[in-house]
Amino acid sequence: MEKINLRAVFEKSGHAVFISHLDLMRAMQRAIKRSKIPVWYSQGFNPHIYLNFPLALSLGVTSKTEFMDFAVTEPCDYAALTETLNKAMPEGLKILGIAEPVFANKDIGFAEYTIEFKSDVPSEEMLSALENMMKADTIEIDKRSKSKGTVKLDIKPHINITGTETASGLLHVFVRLPAGLELNINSNVFIDTFAALSGIDFTSVYAERTKILCLNGENFR
Amino acid sequence: MLREQIEKLLPLVKSPSRYIGGEFNSVVKDKSKVDVRFAFCFPDSYDVGMSHLGMKILYSLKNKRENFWCERVFAPWPDFEELMRKNNIPLYALESLDPVKEFDFIGFTIQYELCYTNILNMLDLAQLPVKAKDRTDDMPIVVAGGPCVCNPEPLADFIDLFIIGEGEEVNLELMDLYAEMKKKGCSKREFLEAAAEIEGIYVPSFYDVSYNLDGTVNAVVPNNSHAAKTVKKRIIKDMDSVYYPESFVVPYCEIVHDRAVVEVLRGCIRGCRFCQAGFIYRPFREKSSDTICRQTKSLCETTGYEEISLSSLSTSDLSDIDETLRRLSEYTEEEKVNLSLPSMRIDRFSKELLEQIQKVRKSGLTFAPEAGTQRLRDVINKNITEDEIMRACKLAFDGGYTGVKLYFMLGLPTETDDDIRGIAELAEKITDLYYQNPNRQRGKHIQISISCATFVPKPFTPFEFEPQASIDEIKHKQKVLLDSIRSRKRINVSWHNYRVSILEAVLAKGDRRLCDAVYEAWKAGCKFDGWDEFYNYDAWMEVFERLGTDLDFYAHRMRSYDEISPWQHLDYYVSKDFFIRENKLAHEEKTTFNCREKCSGCGVSKAVGGACFGKN
Ligand code: SF4
Repeated sequence: MEKINLRAVFEKSGHAVFISHLDLMRAMQRAIKRSKIPVWYSQGFNPHIYLNFPLALSLGVTSKTEFMDFAVTEPCDYAALTETLNKAMPEGLKILGIAEPVFANKDIGFAEYTIEFKSDVPSEEMLSALENMMKADTIEIDKRSKSKGTVKLDIKPHINITGTETASGLLHVFVRLPAGLELNINSNVFIDTFAALSGIDFTSVYAERTKILCLNGENFR
Repeated sequence: MLREQIEKLLPLVKSPSRYIGGEFNSVVKDKSKVDVRFAFCFPDSYDVGMSHLGMKILYSLKNKRENFWCERVFAPWPDFEELMRKNNIPLYALESLDPVKEFDFIGFTIQYELCYTNILNMLDLAQLPVKAKDRTDDMPIVVAGGPCVCNPEPLADFIDLFIIGEGEEVNLELMDLYAEMKKKGCSKREFLEAAAEIEGIYVPSFYDVSYNLDGTVNAVVPNNSHAAKTVKKRIIKDMDSVYYPESFVVPYCEIVHDRAVVEVLRGCIRGCRFCQAGFIYRPFREKSSDTICRQTKSLCETTGYEEISLSSLSTSDLSDIDETLRRLSEYTEEEKVNLSLPSMRIDRFSKELLEQIQKVRKSGLTFAPEAGTQRLRDVINKNITEDEIMRACKLAFDGGYTGVKLYFMLGLPTETDDDIRGIAELAEKITDLYYQNPNRQRGKHIQISISCATFVPKPFTPFEFEPQASIDEIKHKQKVLLDSIRSRKRINVSWHNYRVSILEAVLAKGDRRLCDAVYEAWKAGCKFDGWDEFYNYDAWMEVFERLGTDLDFYAHRMRSYDEISPWQHLDYYVSKDFFIRENKLAHEEKTTFNCREKCSGCGVSKAVGGACFGKN
């Protein structure tokens, strides 16, 4: 059977941000099944819809730049395919576009986030707390690794803050973090570290992933 | 709006997607455009409740009506409950995220006794008084249905009205009545009085219960002219025309039964004497093969599930099971959907069925002989023979199976040590059969697992009169069983916790005076009693002791045939005379025909107007 590999860019927002990575796989399989597109099944005793997500997204994070790899068994019009799939998607999951994959999972190097911190503390105070944190020589965290147990890691050199904005009671941070096979720091690590070091009681924190980049700096696609 | 508050807490709890709604096929309506809002509560976790078929049926049925909005509510897991209480978030419904205390109805489905404390806990989380008498006219009407309401007396203080029998028609009648009376501005009492006139509605506060000196019930008498002397259960006559959902809500997180389900028949022809479901769901009614296939297709297409299961008390009793399975597998193979077949009887086990089961998963096969000797199987009217068990095992071993799981009950009426030893002997014989089978899988040993539940006598069964075995008797029986197993390596034995079964027995056959115990147990922190990690036996026992509740009286006493049972004013059409007859036959070790072979005159046929089966 013909197998044409495809990569969809999709949005995860609203209720859907609380779907865990494992559950996302199931939700997408079911949506694809409902859509009746000519999807490719893994072969064997118990065939399943083949799906692969190049980069996991932390629970609670919104994104318009998530990727999902799947395959179809016949050539399709990508716009029509997108439309058909979207009719079967649950609220909060939306296919934004479909194309043939260019890069491989291992090419992924970084991800960019916009993070909104909300607090009763004035925004200037939040901003200077962030600046203080970034002035330190090192920012050590405990990182769990499969082989070594918990290890100390200095994440300071890996946090790349590309901009900040303040509004009343709000601080927006634009940050680039490593997301590769070698080193992956998800947005929650950054948020938790900032919360712990600043001691600020945030009333809410919203994170959105805005970009996934290759090691060479190109947009992942 | 609670949304923001809830979303803030979700990252802190296990499996948060179950607390925020938005699942595919969940029904969201404009609340300003509906007349009646119904919060359908399942008093257990989302994972358990979302697997429950009855809830799916009634949810879709109600939402099909434009002017009704039914939403789902589950018991939050204790981690989330704690956060809800701390942040003053009231119990809310998943579709609108509105507090359930603002709804017209709060409806519980009660599937097992061990969820009673969860009902109270959910009402309390909803920020409502748990006792019906303390709830005022501006609060929701609290209703309950499901199999346990065949004896709802231990919950009588907490629920405004019970729905007896099958819910498809009566739920709509109740909501229609409410819509009409709400417009007129009637009081809660006026509504309950009008509701009591609907067949199948039982308003417990409209009945007075008096007791004899020995503690047994003296009489249950209506104290309101609108209440009938006995309340009859509701029955759906035709399974082909009864409403069935075209789609299910598709959860994000994994639930217990994560698949599409088609109910293929209701009731059971068998009449196993311990089985409450076998009597309260009578008579046997089935769907045609056309209906089953149509509903399968619709559910698969609208949910995207990769597995469909046929549901009933005994699927192999479907008249045209072979034809139905043939047509179904044509469809499911084409669509790459798995077809799973639970509830198959040993005596109907065939090569074809085995092949069908194997397509889905090759995990162990499960059979339920329930008792170890033919004598005891005759007592309980489990009409299967040792030959049939052996034949089924042989087929399984031929088909490559290297293990079977066998379900038994301990503490059945008339049981002797010989019957217990019979369990071990049966398992040993199956082991021998395996090793003698030239077609078995080479080089593999057999693994038999024996799982023993404790017999719990239930209302509306021929065994409702019987005592439950005491803890010492059960311990003795367990020892006898262990001592009589020779191949310890090949045969593995496990049991359900007896301390749970005893609570089940007390609540199942209890009367109104147990409301206090349920209340006090909840006050003492009991909840999720059906979960090993939460069940607090000592707390329950402490409450029983404090209140002077005599467990022997409720659970371990032989009840005489003429004793008035706490549930005698509820009529499930199966007559008490029939249960007495069946009880006597059990003690004579005599079996009864199944309904298809010969009608035994249980009394249900009068409810369907004539014979249950064409000819009898
Ligand atoms: S009336 Fe006869 S056939 Fe009908 S359920 Fe009772 S025993 Fe079975």
